[in-house]
Amino acid sequence: MAFGRNTIVSMVVLAFALGAVAAVIPSYRAAEQDDVIRRGPGVTEVRKLSTWFEGLGGTNGDTDVYVLDSGKPGATGLVLGGTHGNEPAGYMTAILIVEHAVPTAGRLLVIPHANRSSVTHTDYQEASPRELEFQGASGRRAFRYGSRATNPTDQWPDPDIYVHAASGQQLSGAETRNLNRAYPGRADGTFTERVAYGIASLVRSEKVDFVVDLHEASPEYPVVNAIVAHERAMPVASAAVLNLEFEDITIGLEPSPKNLRGLSHRELGDATDALAMLCETSNVSQGRLRGATDARQVIEGTDDKYLHAAGLGRLSVPFDEHGWPMKQRVGRHAATVVAILAAFTSAHPDRPISLSGLPSYADLMAKGLEPYL
Amino acid sequence: MITVVYRGIVAVAVILVVAELFSQRSLKVKINAGLVLIPLILRALMVA
Repeated sequence: MAFGRNTIVSMVVLAFALGAVAAVIPSYRAAEQDDVIRRGPGVTEVRKLSTWFEGLGGTNGDTDVYVLDSGKPGATGLVLGGTHGNEPAGYMTAILIVEHAVPTAGRLLVIPHANRSSVTHTDYQEASPRELEFQGASGRRAFRYGSRATNPTDQWPDPDIYVHAASGQQLSGAETRNLNRAYPGRADGTFTERVAYGIASLVRSEKVDFVVDLHEASPEYPVVNAIVAHERAMPVASAAVLNLEFEDITIGLEPSPKNLRGLSHRELGDATDALAMLCETSNVSQGRLRGATDARQVIEGTDDKYLHAAGLGRLSVPFDEHGWPMKQRVGRHAATVVAILAAFTSAHPDRPISLSGLPSYADLMAKGLEPYL
Repeated sequence: MITVVYRGIVAVAVILVVAELFSQRSLKVKINAGLVLIPLILRALMVA
């Protein structure tokens, strides 16, 4: 059977298309490989989120939960990093805690990648780097940089309008894949709602006393370098802010809005007994005013365009040629977690919780993140 | 369920583009069809 020239050319073009598909599949699959996170001296157990909600088993939502148990009675805290995969200071702080912190009272649960799916892809047209590379004390370490949202291969398509199930609140369709608009979640909901449900189930089952959700925001965003606290968490959060001010770390305190639903500090505070707080640092790589985007910008936190915007008074944070480097953002988050632990212990002396071994803000500013990786 | 429906729509689009690739005589149009196929196949397979 002889093929005409047109058929042969068509088959060649089709073969090239299929070859291109085959060539790129490994890189997409590689993005699903978890970053290496080492068990530090304080880690007593590593569990999966599916332990608390079986519905996540075998999915990209089944993330690691690190347990740092002092063996001494006290409070239970939960630190969430990686709610948004494009806010790396959050998950780098969680990783720093896992690899270095030793609990001395109570128990700390740490989830470095709360939305594990969000670091398996990047946002379209944002020119995001695929990974952040550090020359750590133990050699090269690489950590994926992701997206604000769940990977569409885990949840697709987006509706035109996202309706938050618990409240009926309407948001833009893409927010349906935003973990921090999905709380308290639903067992039979979307992928993102099921992840939120898993975290809420963990909080209830483990009788978590407080939750600290680590985020980043662009320098022009009004709520930045701040703790956002549920009204029940306000006494602890305000004491933490004072503790941080004593370390010369200026940080704001914002009340969790009652009419903005689906966020961890609102829903976990309402739906569970935990005190819910969320922390923000300033990250230029998320902003709309930024210049060329690359891993250097994410790590060094400098940007000429933001320097210009600062001169025009358009930013919510001070900004100079030093920018907001990763070491400072991680240092602020780590210091905030320690300050919250201290504030909780002061307010509840019968339920202490404390850590040792975590580098201080001054250590990180002086030496950088690399010696601790 | 809605994901299955959308994947079905993408699969139909893939079939139609392949049919177009074979029926068109212009090389430029064939190459265009080949380029369009790449993301469609990746999404149909839920790889990207």
